[in-house]
Amino acid sequence: MNTSDPKPRGSFCGNTRREFFWEAGGSFTGLALSGLLDGNFFANQTHAADGVTGYQNPLAAKLPMFAPKAKSVIFLFMYGGPSHVDTFDYKPALYPLDGKIIKVKTKGRGGERSESRAVGPKWKFKQYGECGKWVSDLFPHIGQHVDDIAFIHSMTADSPIHGSAMLQMNSGKIQSGAPCLGSWVNYGLGSVNENLPGFVVMLDKKGGPISGAKNWASGYMPATYQATLLRSQGDPILNLAPPDDMPLAAQRALLNSLQQSNSEHFLSRGDNSELAARIASYELAWRMQEHAPEAVDLSQETVETKKLYGLDQDRTSHFGRQCLLARRMVERGVRFVQVYSGGAHNDDNWDAHGDLEKNHAFHAGNTDRPIAGLLADLKRSGLLDETLVIWGGEFGRQPTAEYAKGTGRDHNSFGFTMWMAGGGVKGGISVGETDELGAAAIAPGPGHGNGEKAGYHVKSLHATVLHLLGLDPNRLSYFFGGLDQKLVGVEHVQPIKELLG
Amino acid sequence: MTQRISPTAAFGAALTVFFSLSCSLQVAAADFSRDIQPLLAKRCFACHGPDTQEAGLRFDTAASATAELDSGYQAIVPGDVDSSTILSRVTSSDPDLQMPPEGARLTAEEVSALRSWIDEGAQWKEHWAFRSLVRPDVPEPSVGSSAIEINPIDVFIQAGLAERSLPVPPKADRRTLLRRATYNVTGLPPSEQDVQDFVADTSPHAWERVVDRLLASPHYGEQWARHWLDLVRYADTNSYERDGNKPHSWRYRDYVIRSFNDDKPFDDFVIEQLAGDEIPEPTAESLIATGYYRLGIWDDEPADKLQHRYDQLDDVVATTAKTFLAMTVDCARCHDHKIDPILQKDYYSLLAFFQNITPMGDRQMNPDFIEQPLPKGEMTPAEAKDIAVDRNRRLQEARGEVRAIQRRIKEFGEQARDELTKKDLKAWHEKIRQLEQEKAELAKMPAALVVTEYGNKSPDTFVLYRGNPHAETSPDVLVEPAFPSVLKAAAPTIEPPENGRSTGRRLALAKWIVSAENPLTARVLANRIWQYHFGRGIVRSPSNFGFAGDPPTHPQLLDWMATELLRQDWQLKSLQKTILMSAAYQAASTPNEEAYAQDSRNESFWRFDMRRLSAEEIRDTVHVVSGAFNPKMFGPGIYPVIPKEVLATQSKPGKGWGNSSPEEQARRSVYVHVKRSLITPILADFDLADTDTTCPVRFVTTQPTQALGMMNSEFMQHQSKVFAERIAAEAGGPDMADTKSCVRRAIEVALVREPTDDEVQHGLALINELETTEGISPGRSLELYCLFLLNLNEFAYLD
Repeated sequence: MNTSDPKPRGSFCGNTRREFFWEAGGSFTGLALSGLLDGNFFANQTHAADGVTGYQNPLAAKLPMFAPKAKSVIFLFMYGGPSHVDTFDYKPALYPLDGKIIKVKTKGRGGERSESRAVGPKWKFKQYGECGKWVSDLFPHIGQHVDDIAFIHSMTADSPIHGSAMLQMNSGKIQSGAPCLGSWVNYGLGSVNENLPGFVVMLDKKGGPISGAKNWASGYMPATYQATLLRSQGDPILNLAPPDDMPLAAQRALLNSLQQSNSEHFLSRGDNSELAARIASYELAWRMQEHAPEAVDLSQETVETKKLYGLDQDRTSHFGRQCLLARRMVERGVRFVQVYSGGAHNDDNWDAHGDLEKNHAFHAGNTDRPIAGLLADLKRSGLLDETLVIWGGEFGRQPTAEYAKGTGRDHNSFGFTMWMAGGGVKGGISVGETDELGAAAIAPGPGHGNGEKAGYHVKSLHATVLHLLGLDPNRLSYFFGGLDQKLVGVEHVQPIKELLG
Repeated sequence: MTQRISPTAAFGAALTVFFSLSCSLQVAAADFSRDIQPLLAKRCFACHGPDTQEAGLRFDTAASATAELDSGYQAIVPGDVDSSTILSRVTSSDPDLQMPPEGARLTAEEVSALRSWIDEGAQWKEHWAFRSLVRPDVPEPSVGSSAIEINPIDVFIQAGLAERSLPVPPKADRRTLLRRATYNVTGLPPSEQDVQDFVADTSPHAWERVVDRLLASPHYGEQWARHWLDLVRYADTNSYERDGNKPHSWRYRDYVIRSFNDDKPFDDFVIEQLAGDEIPEPTAESLIATGYYRLGIWDDEPADKLQHRYDQLDDVVATTAKTFLAMTVDCARCHDHKIDPILQKDYYSLLAFFQNITPMGDRQMNPDFIEQPLPKGEMTPAEAKDIAVDRNRRLQEARGEVRAIQRRIKEFGEQARDELTKKDLKAWHEKIRQLEQEKAELAKMPAALVVTEYGNKSPDTFVLYRGNPHAETSPDVLVEPAFPSVLKAAAPTIEPPENGRSTGRRLALAKWIVSAENPLTARVLANRIWQYHFGRGIVRSPSNFGFAGDPPTHPQLLDWMATELLRQDWQLKSLQKTILMSAAYQAASTPNEEAYAQDSRNESFWRFDMRRLSAEEIRDTVHVVSGAFNPKMFGPGIYPVIPKEVLATQSKPGKGWGNSSPEEQARRSVYVHVKRSLITPILADFDLADTDTTCPVRFVTTQPTQALGMMNSEFMQHQSKVFAERIAAEAGGPDMADTKSCVRRAIEVALVREPTDDEVQHGLALINELETTEGISPGRSLELYCLFLLNLNEFAYLD
């Protein structure tokens, strides 16, 4: 695997036998054997399916390439595209222009325009924290934590259209078929808890984002690295609970029989590690059945903690529960947790084309306390030091209106804001900026990881995340289709240095 | 020794030769193709290869690798190990000198291979895949050995085994063999009757009869079509935000199934898919085949239209080059290939064959571009197409008129609504209604998803700087359609079809792909056939025959099979029969410690490799075992029930997913509607091919979520109930009086073999435990026992 075997600089197609084997028809066993056979079994007896490499559980914890700052990631995905000028990117010059036709280049769902009606920011901004960060009244609770947050105001993406922009924020590419950030992280680092998935996704109660599962797929990597959906209510994982007419004790009896028959079958096929792995996988499934419900059981949390996350109020309880679950997941070693705010279409997510005030007040109101609660809780337990929290959507919104009437804004991938907290990023800082209207990134200038263009591209964000986890974004590669594929693409991309503590 | 080729032999090319295990073939010291070229390609080419030449050095040709450099050094001096600086550099411990500069050092074996190769004169050989295809002699066995009638495949395989002093493996037992072959050829388990018949058949032709029967089964086409569908990234939807349905895509799937069942010659199969509209007399079938171009992902709302246009073309270039030629031409989209002798110019010259193809549409799919009515009777497809295009055109015009009138009203206000305009509007609305009615009638005609071009003149194709479609172009980077230069083919002869609808470029490409002068296609196909029989190709990277691909483990055998395909006029079944009849195919999968120690990857086929059933095979077998299986073939996709938790992941839960009756759901998995963003869970769990790019080899993962699904899912719980009902009816009767015969019967059905007394006792013990200790009812206990059987490793794996 390339994580521990860096390639020569500029090597595109150099690859290990193992990677080739995957592409070339090899089997890929997913689990360390446990229980039935002792732990030395693989070391002594078997090899990976290529017959050369010693057996390695693909999700076993791996050493990072260098000392990491973060061990896990919680990505709070504000699907639909929150407006930066109404949240964290303070633009005093935009207020007085409200309703006036201004010359500004925009590109969104409604196509390209060179002049439109300005919409002044609909909320007041206040300064918070020692750093004096301006935050809008949409986020009074997050405002309390700005000294732990690093804002990136000059984000850019390749597409102002949801479908492709979502794919890019999640997988780096605007086409479908590439593995997601969470898949790369699990490929690079593995999981330290084999009783839980290494990459989980929680959805808004309104539904999934557009393109559904494409947003957490492992693309050309094996399914081992795709996300598992985690539900905050009911059965947390698909097929986790046996049906009522198969009580646990009965299932255990069945599993015991299965282990017995499978080990007899294995006796005369002892050099086939896949069979052993499959035997082990049933025990792991059993343990997952036991541990996953415990991991999502909030009855172990105090009333005070639940309140901190907003579980005491209707409007914040859903997202709050998910944020609390996210903390419980990273506590238990899950590498990558993604929580969606917003689902389905239109105003069920942050996609405020019509009435911005109503839309953003709704979504911000649902998430402000839970997110602040998560940051506070992580901080007081010390987890924030090793947990990277990311906030943002697939793009931002334009400073101008889309329609003749109303406050709605169209999509904006020329410049938008995301923020990170914990996991080794500096707190209380802001990097990059958009022009005085928030229409496009103007800084940093060329040469800052985005070719000739201003701003920080999504790739820079991805490079930063990998770097904080101890992975070199330009070396973490996966051989596919004749090429060493990387999350950040062929050209080298640097992490956003100003953010690194 | 004589080798008689028997043209009338039932399976094409049975040879009778005399073979000895006491072959005295010597192990070659260092083989350029096997040991040296891949090493140079993987570890050196990135800086000293076709695209980059640091220090002026490149290792991809003999002349350049042995040339004296500006520095005065010579990397390779043939025959002179001490003067060859490559050796001192790869062994140097000085970080400033050592090569490669980063990454793992070369292993001792690699250095030693390099040393002996230079010592022996550093002979360069043309890359094995690009050499012209010559039928190799079957290895000459030595005199005086015991004579056995032997399949030519086995001569090659056993020569390889002898080289390593490994024994010829024992034959698998009949039941194992039948189960292996039945799944392999049809994707389904053998019936109990099949097993009984074969075990009882004492004739020397017993196995041949089985092979003939399997290859003639209609299920053969379903199984082998699925392999092809993986390669051509088959799906029924477009991906992206709407993930909309591709109209009539299922007809392409049915076309592939029929083609395999009919043993359609592969050259026809290629020509129909790439240019079924450009052949002299297109048929409904050949037009359906061109759906090949329309199967990929398509963004109806691209952020950058031109970029997306070239991404679409790239999808076709990549899929075509990898599937038919095993060349990673798409690696040369932005610059010359880093490893293989593929220039950026080659990429765009190949793209030029497709440059004139219409896109799927613009925001909405354009029926004129992608749909073709399939008339019955007198009307030709071309005439039907004309009518369809004409109606679409008139409809669009009418809609345009209405929009124009509405604009006028908007512009001039209500006063402009004079009598004339009102009348106009009414008339146009009536016209639209009529046209839509006509169109609806047209929609009732069967239609196909097809490729079309803009006409008989293609726009120019340019080499795009760094692959950027917005790059400036000029006449000096203009390219014409051409085949990859490394294959040294003549320029294509392009004749536009008389109908004026297309350029004829694709037909020229298709004809060259299957022409005798192209050595790749037959090799690639032979390798894939072997791969799908044995679980791995002679070349383990079946879509990458380049320098960094895996060299063939049995190059002679590969070439023999490739020429055999040509001798059989590109028909597959004859070669498949030869393969199935070989001792190598019939070998046992049992372990052999010594052989494992020497050849743990089983490079030499010292045994047959075990394999897990594929996703489709697992789902289909569950239906067969439960008795619910419905063998109905063909037609629009079916929709298995998807749990609501999974539907909830969609932005519009349930959208684009239909309802099928339980009977329809029990049809084979190849008929399941492939929605890119919503894959049926049990198929996704067991490593269905990713739908977005060509997939030459599927993963085989083992994960706890598979176990959860196999035990707890609604599908498995339900099917084990149906299975238990079947068992109760066949063995125990509803009162469950005879649990023992139920257990026996359940094992027979699930594993298609006689149960042993021990496992019957084991089953009874489990049922007893469930009933007495856990208080489970007898009926439910049998269901759980059935579920247990469906979860066995023996159920999921083939020996």
